[in-house]
Amino acid sequence: MSQDISPSTAFIDGKPFLFQSGETILNVVDRHLGRGHVPTLCDAPQLEPYGACRVCSVEVALQDGGPRRVVASCHTPMAPGMHIFTETQKVRRLRKNIVELVLTDHPLDCLTCEVNGNCELQTVAAKVGIRKVRYPEGENHLDRKKDLSHPYMTSDLSKCINCSRCVRACDEIQGQHVLSMHGRGFNARIIKGMDTTFEESPCVSCGACSQACPTSAISDVFMSKSIEATNKTRTVCTYCGVGCNLTVATKGNEVLSIQAPVDAEVNHAHTCLKGRFAFKFYNHKDRLRKPLIRQPDGAFKEATWDEAYEHIVTNLKRIIAANGPQAVAGISSARCTNEENYLMQKFIRHVVGTNNIDCCARVCHSPTAWGMQKSFGTGAATNSFEDIGYTKCIMVIGANPTEGHPVTGARLKQAVMKGTPLIVIDPRRIEIVPYAKYHLQLRPGTNVALLNMMARFILDEGLVKKDFVEKRCENWEEFEAGLRSLDMDALEKITGVDKELVRAAAIEYASSEAAMSFHGLGVTEHEQGAKTVMLISNLAMMTGNIGRPGVGVNPLRGQNNVQGAADMGCQPHQGAGYFEMNDIQVQKRYSEFYGTNTPSEPGWKIPQMFDNAIAGNLKALWLMGEDVVQTDPDAHHVRHAMDSLEFLVVQEIFMTETAKYADVILPAASFLEKSGTFTNAERRVQRVNAAVKPLEGTKPDGQIMCEIIQRFGHPQADYTPDGVLAEIAQIVPFFKGATWENLGEQGKQWPIREGGVDTQIMHVEQFARGKGHFHFFNWQESTELKTNGTEFPFILTTGRILEHYNCGTMTRRTGNSEIVAKDLLAINPADARAKSINTGDTVKLFSARGEVELEASVTDEVKPGILYTTFHFPENMVNNVTGQGCDADTLCPEYKVVAADIVKVS
Amino acid sequence: MEVPADLEARIDEAITHYPVSRRSAVLPVLHLLQHHFRYITEESVAWTAAKLGLEPIQVLEVVTFYPGFRQTAPGKVHVRVCRTLACAMAGSYELLEKFCQASGIDREAINHHHPIGVSPDGKYSIEFVECLASCGTAPVCLVEDDLHEKVDPAAVDKVLAQYS
Repeated sequence: MSQDISPSTAFIDGKPFLFQSGETILNVVDRHLGRGHVPTLCDAPQLEPYGACRVCSVEVALQDGGPRRVVASCHTPMAPGMHIFTETQKVRRLRKNIVELVLTDHPLDCLTCEVNGNCELQTVAAKVGIRKVRYPEGENHLDRKKDLSHPYMTSDLSKCINCSRCVRACDEIQGQHVLSMHGRGFNARIIKGMDTTFEESPCVSCGACSQACPTSAISDVFMSKSIEATNKTRTVCTYCGVGCNLTVATKGNEVLSIQAPVDAEVNHAHTCLKGRFAFKFYNHKDRLRKPLIRQPDGAFKEATWDEAYEHIVTNLKRIIAANGPQAVAGISSARCTNEENYLMQKFIRHVVGTNNIDCCARVCHSPTAWGMQKSFGTGAATNSFEDIGYTKCIMVIGANPTEGHPVTGARLKQAVMKGTPLIVIDPRRIEIVPYAKYHLQLRPGTNVALLNMMARFILDEGLVKKDFVEKRCENWEEFEAGLRSLDMDALEKITGVDKELVRAAAIEYASSEAAMSFHGLGVTEHEQGAKTVMLISNLAMMTGNIGRPGVGVNPLRGQNNVQGAADMGCQPHQGAGYFEMNDIQVQKRYSEFYGTNTPSEPGWKIPQMFDNAIAGNLKALWLMGEDVVQTDPDAHHVRHAMDSLEFLVVQEIFMTETAKYADVILPAASFLEKSGTFTNAERRVQRVNAAVKPLEGTKPDGQIMCEIIQRFGHPQADYTPDGVLAEIAQIVPFFKGATWENLGEQGKQWPIREGGVDTQIMHVEQFARGKGHFHFFNWQESTELKTNGTEFPFILTTGRILEHYNCGTMTRRTGNSEIVAKDLLAINPADARAKSINTGDTVKLFSARGEVELEASVTDEVKPGILYTTFHFPENMVNNVTGQGCDADTLCPEYKVVAADIVKVS
Repeated sequence: MEVPADLEARIDEAITHYPVSRRSAVLPVLHLLQHHFRYITEESVAWTAAKLGLEPIQVLEVVTFYPGFRQTAPGKVHVRVCRTLACAMAGSYELLEKFCQASGIDREAINHHHPIGVSPDGKYSIEFVECLASCGTAPVCLVEDDLHEKVDPAAVDKVLAQYS
C-alpha cells in the first residue's frame, strides 16, 4: 500500500486526513467527518479536553498494521502516521456499555424532559445503539430535588451524568469557581458554592454551565436548550462594548431564550447574565407603544405617527425660522446602530443645519477618542480581544472588567489565572484584584500623578525602547524633560501609593515582551481624563508596546455601540468618519455628497447644550434613546435644562426620567426588533439582525430618522440596514470595504479596506497620524476637591455593577432586579465606625449639589475617606450628588471624583 | 478557629514545597490542619482557601474526594482498621466487630458511605479504611498514628487500654 505519510497526515478508518500540530484525535475527526461521528458526553467545543466519560474511545495504531490500543480521542493528540479506528467492534461495545451504565442512574422520562430532542445523552444513546439497559435497577440518584431558587439558573441533578462540563465551564470560561464535584465514586455530585443553592452561591448567572450541560441537569428558567423555537437569529448584544454574538430563539414573534454561539470570535459560547437572560424588557408592559404628544394642560395624549411627525416638523421649523438652526440640537444613542446614529447626525447636520450633535460618548470615552487621536491619530483600541491570549503582561486602569465588560473580564481573568502578570490601577479592590500581581490603590483623581511616576521609573530603570521612540515617535525630549522634573516623593503622597510598588509595577510593564493595557471610565471621567489617556499612550510608546500582537492601548468601551456613534459623526467637532467640521474642504465634501449646505459654526457638546438651554439659546432638543436626567451628572442642573427647552423630542422604548420632560415621545424598537450594525470596543463592525418584528405601534430608530428626514422634504430612502451601510461606506473611509454581505457572522474590524480586508492590529508600520506624539502633563488637583473638599471631606466615586446597565431602564425590567434591586454605598469600616454606620443602615449622602439616601455597605474594598456607589436606580438618583466638574479637553463629566459627606439616617 | 503560630509556620513551610501551583499545596495544608484539629471544619476549608488564594470550593472538592479527610469530629482515640484483601482474609472484619463492641460503637452505622463510627461517649471512633501497607503482618490497624500488627481480635481491649 503506498500512502502518503507526510508529517501532518493521519489515517481515520483507512483514509488519510490532514491535521495541524496540537489537534486532538477528536478535533480531527470532528473537523473532517463532522461532530458526532465519534460520540462523546464530556467533551464540548468551548472547553478544554477532559477525558472523563471515555465514550469517545477509539482504537489507535501508531503505524499501519501495528498493535492497537483503545484511547479517549478527546484528549489524545493526533500524531503523524497514526491510524485511528472509530467503529471497531471493541470500541462500539465499550461505548455502548459506558452509556448503559450512565443510563442506570438517569431518569428515562425523555418525552417530558425540557431538552427532549436536543439532549446529548439521548443522541449518544441512539448513536451507540442502546435498545435496553442490561443492568438491573440498583441504587441511584433519581430522587434528587430540583433547585429552582434562582431567578435564572435551575438544576435537576437527577439528570446529571457527572461529566463535569458545568464545572469546567464555570472554571474555564467564566472563572468563577462556583461549581465543583463533591465526593467520589457513587457519591460524586455537582455542588454549587459550599454545597448550597444557586441563589445562595456566588454564581454570577452567566449561564455558561447551562449551555455546556449535555442534559437538562443544569438549565435556566427560559429552557434555552429546548427545541421549542421555530427560528434562531444571530445578532449582537445590546449591553456593553464587548459586542457578544447571541443566538436568539424565537417562536412566532416571541423571544424564548438566548444562547451564545460557540463559533463567535468575540465571545466563544460565553456571555454574561445581561446578554443571555436580561431580555424580557423587550415586550414588558411598560414599553411605549404609541407616540405621545404633550397637551397644553401638561398631560400626554396618544397620537398617530402622522400627528406626531407633523407636530415635530411644525415646531422644529418654527423654531429654526425664529432662531436659526443653532437653536436646535440632537443627542444620539450609543445603544442604537451605526446606521441610526449616522442618520441622526445626517438629520441634525445636513437637514436642520447645525453641528449641535453629540452622543453619550461625551459622558464616557470622549477623552479616549480625543486623547488617542492626539497620541496615535485614531481614537480606538489598537488591538483585539484575541490579543489577550498573546500578551505577557496585562495592565487594567480605571476599569472593572469583570462587572462592566464581563466576557472580556472573564477572558482577562483566565489569562491571569494561567500566569500572565496583572497590574491593576484602581481606587477600589475590585473583583480581579486578588488575581493581580500589583494593585496600585490610588486616591481617586490622581491617575496623572501615578502614570507619571510609572513613566519616570521606566526612564530611571533604563527600560525605554529607544529605537522605537526614535523611529516611530516625536516630542520625546519634552516628555523626558517633564519626567525628570517630577518630585517622586510628592507624587507618592498625592497618590497614596508606595513608590516602590509603583516602581515594581512599572518594571513589570516595561520589561515585558508584550504588555497590553485596558482602561475604562476610571481614566476618562476625570478633570484630567484626556490627559490620562495620553499618558497611557506614552507608556505604550516608550516601551514599544504598539503595533504587535498582545500589546497596545485598549479602551473598554462602555456601551454596545459607543465606538460606532463617534465613528458615525455623532460629536459636534467631527463628522462621519472623524473629519474636522471646521475644515472648509471637509464642509465642501459633505455638501457635495448630501447636496445641502454643511454647517460651519462649531456645535455644542452635551454639557454646553444644557447650559445653552438654561441660557435660552437652545430651544429644541432631540434625544434618541438617552436618559440624560438620570445618567448625566448634577441631575438638578439637567432637569433645569430640560425645563428650559421650548421643545423636546424623545425617541425611547420606556418612559424614562428624561422622557417625562418631553413634548413628543416616539416609541422606538429595541435591539431585538431591528437590524443594522454595532461596532464593539475592538472596532469590530457586526451585524445586528432583528429576531422579532417591532412591537405593534413602535418603529426602529432608523426608520424614524428616515421618515423625519423625508418629512423635512429631503430625499431619503426608507430604512434598510444594507442601504444605509452602503451610504456610510461611501463617506467613512475606514468603512470603505464594508458591505452587509461581507460583514458575515463574525463582522469585520475597521479600517475595512476595499475587498473587505479588515484590521486586527493598528499602527503596525506607522501611527495613523504618522509619528506617535508624546505629551507631558503635570498632575492637578481636581477643582471639585479644591472647591468643596474641606466642607465635604469624603471622595465619592461612582461605577457600575454586573447585574445592571447604566440607568437600568432595561435591566430593571428583567429578573436582574430580583438579584440586585438597589444602589449601595460602600464605606470603609474605619469611617463607618467613626460615623456609627453599620451595613444595612440608611445613610444620607450629600454634596454641594444635593443629597440622596442610600443603604450602607461597610467594606474594606474602599480605602478610608473614599465612598463608592452606582447609579442604576432612579429611586436613588445618585446623580443628584455628582457635580459639573469635567475633563478640561472634552467636557466628559467627572463622575469619579465628588466631594461628599455622609450621615447616618437610621 | 485559631491556627496557632507554630502550626501556621509549619503550614507556610509546607507550602514552599509547591512553588508552581498553590493548588497543589491544598493536600499538605489539609493534612496539617486535620492533624491539629482532628477533622476538617468549614472554617478550615475557608482558612486554607484564603491561605492559598483559592476559592473555598476548590478546597472542599479535595476534602470530599479523599476519604482520609474527615468532615466530622472523630473520637478522642481514632482507630483505623484495614479492610483490604490481605487483612480481610486474616480477619479484619472480625477485628472491626470487636473494636465496635469494646468501644460501644454501632457496627451497622459503619459502611461505605459512612466509614467512621463514633462511640456515644465520644471517646473512640473507628474507621474501616483501605490498605495500610502492611499486608505481611495482617490484620493491622492504626490507633492514632501507631501501627498495630497481627492484631488478635480477642485482644482489642488491651490495644485500647494503651490509649485510655
